[in-house]
Amino acid sequence: MNARITIYVVAFVAIGLTLAQDLRPGLDFYHTWQYAAMSGIAILLMASYAWSARTGADGASGKRVAIAMVGALTIAVAGFLSGLIGPDTVTVSGSPGTVTPIPDLRAAAFFGQADPATIAHGDAVVDLRKKNSVPIVVPAGKHLYLGTSIVSLGARPAAYISARDLRGNHLTVTQPTNGTFLSPVLLFPNKQPIRDKVYPLDTFATPALHRIARVLYFTADDAATFNHLGSKQPALVISVNADSGKTVGLTIAPSDREVTVGDLRITATIGTYPEISIASAPHPLALAIGLLMFLGGSLAALNTARRSQIESVPASPQA
Amino acid sequence: MQRAPVFGGAIILLLLVTGCYSGGGPNRTIDGGGGPAMLTGAPAVSYDIKRLDGHMDSLARYRGSLVVMNLWATWCPPCRAEMPDLERLSTEFKSKGVVVLGIDQGESAATAAAFARARGVTFPVLLDEDQQYGRSYAAIGLPTTVIVGRDGHIIRGIDGELTLAQMRAAVIPALKAK
Repeated sequence: MNARITIYVVAFVAIGLTLAQDLRPGLDFYHTWQYAAMSGIAILLMASYAWSARTGADGASGKRVAIAMVGALTIAVAGFLSGLIGPDTVTVSGSPGTVTPIPDLRAAAFFGQADPATIAHGDAVVDLRKKNSVPIVVPAGKHLYLGTSIVSLGARPAAYISARDLRGNHLTVTQPTNGTFLSPVLLFPNKQPIRDKVYPLDTFATPALHRIARVLYFTADDAATFNHLGSKQPALVISVNADSGKTVGLTIAPSDREVTVGDLRITATIGTYPEISIASAPHPLALAIGLLMFLGGSLAALNTARRSQIESVPASPQA
Repeated sequence: MQRAPVFGGAIILLLLVTGCYSGGGPNRTIDGGGGPAMLTGAPAVSYDIKRLDGHMDSLARYRGSLVVMNLWATWCPPCRAEMPDLERLSTEFKSKGVVVLGIDQGESAATAAAFARARGVTFPVLLDEDQQYGRSYAAIGLPTTVIVGRDGHIIRGIDGELTLAQMRAAVIPALKAK
């Protein structure tokens, strides 16, 4: 009986380790040797139990438990393989209106267009398209299961930059160091450590005025430390350089408020833009079959054990 | 009795396999980019934006014609150098169903209009203040030229300045293609 309790504990741990990949996808832990070792030891223990129990070594009900263990084994193997050989979690980002190929899914992510309002509300759309199939919108706040991959939507800091010269003429905004050259939407791919915190960092240029701006993103909490901003809202710290590298201005830009710095009039709408995260997951068919076998085997074992208990109770002597 | 060594061996093998496993690397990040050339064969996206004369216009309106779409800005020296050749191309191929469509990236109407007037530009020029075309056509610099077929699919995306001969070399095969 002790062996059976132990093997059930092992099975629950193994199933838990596997299902965690579905419930909390994308953790680096699933791709570590420690995770693989834990799953692997559980697999060996369950395989060993099932092998001996199938011949009746653990009683009549033990044969049913062996079926349950084969089910748990199937689940654990699916989790082991997904963790050991499944691709690492990948974050896919793109500027509004662009397409990013995703080789892992044999698909492409279409990042929806964004205007200042979309950035402020953070409600831009991303859909996945495969050849000859209908586009799939990645839902916000939910996981999308695609075979052995789990796709989820995240939000990254973003700012829509509108730049004008001092006469009010609209200026082209470029991002010479980023993948999308002609975009007024900053997605802050870089980081800037300041003291004990790390802030999202991006740059843009206005070639017509020969200006290059470095932009730090401050959340509402961070920006609250700047007392003069008034209300609690996110803000950008914008440092403007001339082509020569000389700094020509530095300012704090709250969302949707025009600031003048280094001969530029800048209005930044601050918010978020989606990015997608793709994590490997155990094969859903293996999970379904494994769970059915585990539950079926366990119920059958309980039933067999109860019957043998009833049969073993001696009949009361009749008067 | 024989199972114990087998089981022990399996455990050792497992530990060796997982111990040799380097573990997952840091999360990878894939981002866009790649330039206009990678768009060949894709459907050409279109946005409704203002023309220099204030009327709304879009790439889609020219479906059925072979469109030479040129993304440009007045501050860009190669764009300025290319403009007379684009005008010549427009005049030369207009009767053959070729439309040259200029799309100014991010500038005010006054800036683009003054430039177009000074250079004698007669082909339609659209004002893309939000730079939607620039983003969607994966421009990695200016000028960027995209040849869009009569069926609305991209035939070629070209980064950088083109001479008139290079423009002709891009347009003539596209005209011959069905």
